[in-house]
Amino acid sequence: MNDLSFEESLEMLEEIVNKLENGDVPLDEAIDEFNNAMQLVKNCNDKLSSAEESIAKIVKENGDLIDFNVNE
Amino acid sequence: MNEKPVTVTQINRYINNKMKLDEQLSDINIRGEISNYKTYPSGHSYFTLKDKNSQISAVMFYGFRQYLKFEPKDGMKVIIRGNIEVYEKNGQYQLHAKKITEDGLGELHIAYEQLKKKLDDEGLFDESHKKQIPRYPKRIGVVTAQTGAAIRDIITTIKRRYPLCEVLVFSTLVQGDLAKFQIVEQIQKADGYDLDTLIVGRGGGSIEDLWPFNEEIVARAIFECETPVISAVGHEIDFTISDFVADLRAATPTAAAERAVPDIKELKDKVKQYNIRANNSINEMIFYYKNRLDDISNKQLFKSPTHIYDIKRMHLDNLLGRFDYISKNIINENRNKLFKLENSPVLRKPDSLIDKKKERFIRNLGKLEILNPLLTLKRGYSIAKKEDTVVSSVKDVDEGDELIIRFDDGEVNTKVI
Repeated sequence: MNDLSFEESLEMLEEIVNKLENGDVPLDEAIDEFNNAMQLVKNCNDKLSSAEESIAKIVKENGDLIDFNVNE
Repeated sequence: MNEKPVTVTQINRYINNKMKLDEQLSDINIRGEISNYKTYPSGHSYFTLKDKNSQISAVMFYGFRQYLKFEPKDGMKVIIRGNIEVYEKNGQYQLHAKKITEDGLGELHIAYEQLKKKLDDEGLFDESHKKQIPRYPKRIGVVTAQTGAAIRDIITTIKRRYPLCEVLVFSTLVQGDLAKFQIVEQIQKADGYDLDTLIVGRGGGSIEDLWPFNEEIVARAIFECETPVISAVGHEIDFTISDFVADLRAATPTAAAERAVPDIKELKDKVKQYNIRANNSINEMIFYYKNRLDDISNKQLFKSPTHIYDIKRMHLDNLLGRFDYISKNIINENRNKLFKLENSPVLRKPDSLIDKKKERFIRNLGKLEILNPLLTLKRGYSIAKKEDTVVSSVKDVDEGDELIIRFDDGEVNTKVI
């Protein structure tokens, strides 16, 4: 589950929450799904807080990538 | 000096004639901006033509106005062809407009409209060609000038909203005759960089400045681009051809960046909400099952397990009671019958029954004796029999017949003589 992208994690999380809220899931399954949901919440939060600052680079004519600083 | 006074009418007419004859005031082109434009029911339009420092009243009579291809509006920059004349009633001079053309974009405007129609007819603007803009991009490309406000606005906005995303800048000229070639080249280059979204644009400027984004080769490069394109040409009111052909149009570079990435704060909130909702629903479910369990364990059976035997016991007692009652009834019934039998007169005094029978027998015997023929014999009668037949008439006997006479105490044989 850790391999999921942020988008996939969020979509799965949404799906599970809707399923749980629907209420027609057997308890055992609901507990499993709840544990999955908690894992996904962690995934999402990890991904959201992992990015410190987005990197901007300029693509030179020869294909080189050079850091692009907007404050310059 | 002519001392003779003239009338106001005369002087206004004189000036009017002078002006009409002046070639500098006839059939001239005047550049300016329209304001206070108003059309009256007569069909004539009245307005003011002005520039920074000055203004002139103007009128366009219906005879000319009806040939206009567009409706003049306040703020419109125009070139007006006409004459300067005096309105004699109030002595004011005014511009009599014969023709109005929009200033500045005559040729460009036509080119724009022609290209727009051509590409529209080809289907390049169709909704069916619009690609979805990815919601959570990892990498965004920007085709714009590396100097200038546009790229700063875009990068700043993306960093603020969604720092998870990387930005690649593909720098290009964005105005001038060479710009269109560079823009096309950079769009094609960027398309090979595995980008989620490509922003193509520049900051605001005049129609001439923005012109590269109205060029056919730029429009086609955007159309051919496999990466979803957001156009971001900085002018809010009008559209460039690039705007029509892009997958999404943003009015400014900042707006393009906002459309390109989600807001991390909203996403964090969203995840938080899902977390809360998941917890709530699982807690609700556990609460529900716990209640059900409590309900069941509170039932009498679980509280006092002997209760189930008590019930059976009660049932048994009930059956026993009924059995007891019924059997007693049967016994009683039979006992009563027996009692009746025991107390019947026959069994209690059997002799009385015999006595009765005896009495009857004796009575009947007496009756029988009365009928007994032998008793008749005792009283002196006799019975004559011929052979074994009783003779009851003289006619039954003949002379010489042997008769047996029966007496009470015996028989004698006789012969009829």
